[in-house]
Amino acid sequence: MSFLNLSYEIMPGLLKGAVVTLELTVCSISLGFILGVALALGRLYGKRPVSLFCTGYIEFFRGTPLLVQLLILYYGLPPYGIRLSSFVAGILGLGLNSAAYQAEYFRGAIQSVSQGEIMAARAIGMSRFKAIVNIILPQMFRIVIPSWSNELIYTLKYSSVAYMIGAPELMAQAKFIAAENFRYFEVFLVVAFIYLIAVVILSRILSVLEKRVRIPGLQMAQ
Amino acid sequence: MVRRKTGLVLAAMVFVVLVLGGAVSLAAEKEVYVVASDIAWPPFEWVDEAGDYVGFDLDVMRAIANLEGYKIEIRDIAFDSIIAGVKAGKYDIGASGFTITDKREEVIDFSEAYWKSDQAVLVRKDSGLNIITALSNGRAIGAQRGTTGADWIQSNLIDQGIDIELKLYETYPLAVLDLVNGNLDAVVQDEPASQISVAKQKAIGIAGVIVTGEEFGFLVQQGDPYGLLAKISEAMKELRASGEWDKLVTKYFGE
Repeated sequence: MSFLNLSYEIMPGLLKGAVVTLELTVCSISLGFILGVALALGRLYGKRPVSLFCTGYIEFFRGTPLLVQLLILYYGLPPYGIRLSSFVAGILGLGLNSAAYQAEYFRGAIQSVSQGEIMAARAIGMSRFKAIVNIILPQMFRIVIPSWSNELIYTLKYSSVAYMIGAPELMAQAKFIAAENFRYFEVFLVVAFIYLIAVVILSRILSVLEKRVRIPGLQMAQ
Repeated sequence: MVRRKTGLVLAAMVFVVLVLGGAVSLAAEKEVYVVASDIAWPPFEWVDEAGDYVGFDLDVMRAIANLEGYKIEIRDIAFDSIIAGVKAGKYDIGASGFTITDKREEVIDFSEAYWKSDQAVLVRKDSGLNIITALSNGRAIGAQRGTTGADWIQSNLIDQGIDIELKLYETYPLAVLDLVNGNLDAVVQDEPASQISVAKQKAIGIAGVIVTGEEFGFLVQQGDPYGLLAKISEAMKELRASGEWDKLVTKYFGE
């Protein structure tokens, strides 16, 4: 069977997996985004216990392998009465993990905004909270895009680890198909291309977004 | 984009070199043969408390190597990758409770059969399921990826229009754990290994046995480039004649 014929034959199964991969990625990156913003703000502006907690969270999730976290979530929790489906455990694991990394990207972006701006905002009577929401965050979201797109691509690719807990994503589908037809080289070559195409599309979208929302006059990096 | 293309071409070249390199290194005799086994499946192969590779398949492989005067190196390989690896010449022998099937024989060669097995249906004792209700509409059933157990669920249940969610696992112990955890209704696994599973996990039991009459064989690359099948067959005869075979059977399967 030629490579093209084979690719054509296995494509429906792989695309089904690719859809699950995208769902996993979108859900977990969103979860990570929300938590990440909270963690970054908590670490920088929170009271001491809050800041310590956020730092601890970030260190824990960055300091342990994603696979270990997923196995704990999926296989480890049921004896304690918490039973998650593969898909939910996958989103939770990827999302909680990504939150730690995103928090660090956000923190870097916040710290690159001149702290004088907060002082200026306070001087004209804004509360600290208002200053953060109206002055810091809008700049942070713009500045963070290039490094954040890294995290998005990582999450897309690392979602493949979820096959270990039985989520029927692209990697799991590929292993299933390859175990049936023993054509590892061809199957995984096609899989590599699907990941590559997805990554190229995502990074294009983000670089367009980056140009769109660029802050005029704040382009010294280029 | 240009740099990305160059990267792809480079990657393709690396692949070609790897594949050719593998082909060239094939000589007619070897001193050490690599035996691939998925070492997470007692009583056929598992890692004991001391961290050693033990089990029926592995002891048979060692006894055969001993008799035939060659050395083996046993490697722990994911079950669903063993056939592809043997086919590609990465491993010389696959010894992991492989059922002899026509589909597998299209890509590799099997030794003569050394074991007979059926498929057992495992359920949680408190679920009250029997072999019929465990395999009916709406159930979630687990098996290890690439096994005849998984095949059986696909072709005898799903392909027959029964609404089953088939969940595939990297190893059988993970499937059994997911059954214990309540994420599955049943697991279909070879009977001898299932006996071990129920002995270890008190919460589950064997609801029944599907008589498939499967036969296990050791596998080698197609065409048997090192003449291993003749050696394996000869040594198995000798082991049976000397009573060594029965000793191994008793050691791992009881009476």
